Amino acid sequence: MPEITYLEAISDGLREEMRHDESVFCMGEDIGEFGGAFKVTDGFFEEFGANRVWDTPLAENAIVGAAVGAAVEGLRPVCEMQFADFIACGFDQLVNVAAKMYYRQGLAVPMVVRLPSGGGFSGGPFHSQNPEAWFLQSPGLKVVAPSTAEDAKGLLASAIRDPNPVLYLEHKNLYRRVKGEVPEGRYETPMGELRVAREGTDLTLVSYGAMVHTALEATEDIDGASIEVLDLRTLCPLDRDGILESVRKTSKVVVLHEATRSCGVGAEVASLIAEEAFEDLDGPVVRVTAPDVPIPFSPPLERAVLPQVDDVKEACRELLAY
Amino acid sequence: MPQMGVSVAEGTITAWRKRPGDWVERDEVIVEISTDKVETEVPSPAAGRVAELLVDEGTTVDVGTLLAKIDTGSRPGQPHADESDPPPPAEETAPEANGNGNGKAPPVSPVVRRMADEHSVELSAVSGTGRRGRVTKKDLLAFIEQDGAKPAERPLHIESPYKEEPAAPAPAAAAAEGERLSVMRRQIGEHMVRSLHEAAHCTTIVEADMTAIEAARGRLSYLPLVARATIAALREHPRLNATLEGDHLTVHEEVHLGIAVSLGEEGLIVPVVRNAHELSHEGLGARIKDLAARARSKQLSPDEVGGATFTITNPGRYGALLATPIINQPQVAILDLEAVVKRPVVVTDGQGGDSIAIRPMTYFCMSWDHRALDGVGAAEFLGSVKRHVEGWSD
Repeated sequence: MPEITYLEAISDGLREEMRHDESVFCMGEDIGEFGGAFKVTDGFFEEFGANRVWDTPLAENAIVGAAVGAAVEGLRPVCEMQFADFIACGFDQLVNVAAKMYYRQGLAVPMVVRLPSGGGFSGGPFHSQNPEAWFLQSPGLKVVAPSTAEDAKGLLASAIRDPNPVLYLEHKNLYRRVKGEVPEGRYETPMGELRVAREGTDLTLVSYGAMVHTALEATEDIDGASIEVLDLRTLCPLDRDGILESVRKTSKVVVLHEATRSCGVGAEVASLIAEEAFEDLDGPVVRVTAPDVPIPFSPPLERAVLPQVDDVKEACRELLAY
Repeated sequence: MPQMGVSVAEGTITAWRKRPGDWVERDEVIVEISTDKVETEVPSPAAGRVAELLVDEGTTVDVGTLLAKIDTGSRPGQPHADESDPPPPAEETAPEANGNGNGKAPPVSPVVRRMADEHSVELSAVSGTGRRGRVTKKDLLAFIEQDGAKPAERPLHIESPYKEEPAAPAPAAAAAEGERLSVMRRQIGEHMVRSLHEAAHCTTIVEADMTAIEAARGRLSYLPLVARATIAALREHPRLNATLEGDHLTVHEEVHLGIAVSLGEEGLIVPVVRNAHELSHEGLGARIKDLAARARSKQLSPDEVGGATFTITNPGRYGALLATPIINQPQVAILDLEAVVKRPVVVTDGQGGDSIAIRPMTYFCMSWDHRALDGVGAAEFLGSVKRHVEGWSD
């Protein structure tokens, strides 16, 4: 298998689906001849032409709204938000129209919105956010957040083929940093199934997206403890059974995410464990997250805000010693 | 400054018995106080280390004034902060390890609590390596594997007095050396054989839908709820709450409910819940649990194992569906609770429409003495138990 970057895996997955299914098409800002702000659709315009690779105005509400209409009519649009942060402009079409279409009218909305998200490169408060929790409160949407190149391609394929609107969080800090062997051709990574990134018995570290790599690095060796790292991969639907199975084994849990703290995925996972696995716990469920603040431009301040390897180590050490 | 009496508004510190850094036990005298009515010693309200004395000796302050601060989070045996003595050996500094309820023991986590229960481990015997000496799951697992090598106590189970006849011994090819039955086994055998010999045993079975019980039982087992329903049925059909000696039948006013408790291979004992008709199902559950625990630890008094007016046996946890128990003489009936199993059953709605539903079902098997009653009486009684079970409401 060839080793390619996370970004190339996304391009690869999108290209394969477009080649295979004529109803799949892309829309977004500067994704055509320019190839996208991060070059995910580089070469797509030449291969698929202007009918299937649309440059849109700077109007996210229009992008998402048009995609909903196209999806209802049977196409499979893949929208790119130039930065995940800009999805706020398309919020109404997404949470009120797309998410509720099946509930209200029984119509499938097979669309994907790609969200280049996350910080770590001094992008500041408008270009660094991790907005997944906004959408986890909106029944009808699915949310995925791959951490590896293989899953980036497989989950994009699953998202495109799914009959529901799917938000696809692709972490910008993984684009060129993470490489991996990726199968050629088409394959799907199932939604709703977490991946055990490393097996362990003493503590479960739950994470997703870019933080999976922070988690693995931080727990390579913490005083010889055996730490299980879970990569959630899909945030909705959440792999509840997979999480609980690990908790029943280790009895100690740290949840790690780059998004802000309150009412986030960490809160959801902690509540799930409290409700379903209380009698298996040997310590408090601990969250390591960004605090509830915007992401600063300043590099040292940004480092202070985003969870770092040392923060994860400290949290794990504390809980192991509890 | 504590309130020493209704009319006392202030008090004077006569002498401090402790100084900062001292360890003080709960209710140990910490300070002497004089008021215009009494001179008294004041006990410490909590165990801990005296952190600070806030009022000097000789000073008079109002009732309610804070006198001293006690750090309840520290451990006894450590040197004063102002002393340079090396700390005494670790064994002496070990706090009273666990759960002694005085507020300074570290908390026991849910998983440790559960596993200690499951393996019948006394947590105070386990040395903890967690924060403030907390027993962690790892500590407990290590203890169970090594120090606590004694096999985990069997879970409580309550079993039918019905015993399968021993299989015919194989032809004595290699005659295994036998051993004499224990006293308890011999007594059980004698009792069972006598009952079979004397009573005209007959077994009647009804099927019951346990949906309502399942919904109501919470963490309780089925037993106390079914026992409660059985008692209600006994009140409606008192002839089952009876003893028959020779040709003399006594119908009892009170329900003294015998509950068969298995002691493993050793045998079986039937402690009695006296005046069970006065108890709720929660009360029954607590009494049964207590009796069963004491039965296993051989702490029952003779009064607690005789005089039952009706007996319940409950081997259902092993999955058996039907049994024909032997009556506990001189009673006239014994009810056997078997496994609750999900089955497709036909249910009829309010309009008389039938449908198939998945329901937790069980069989109530009752052996009764045909000398004392007839099949109709047994069936009516079981019908009543079924009605109380299926229509359960708290």
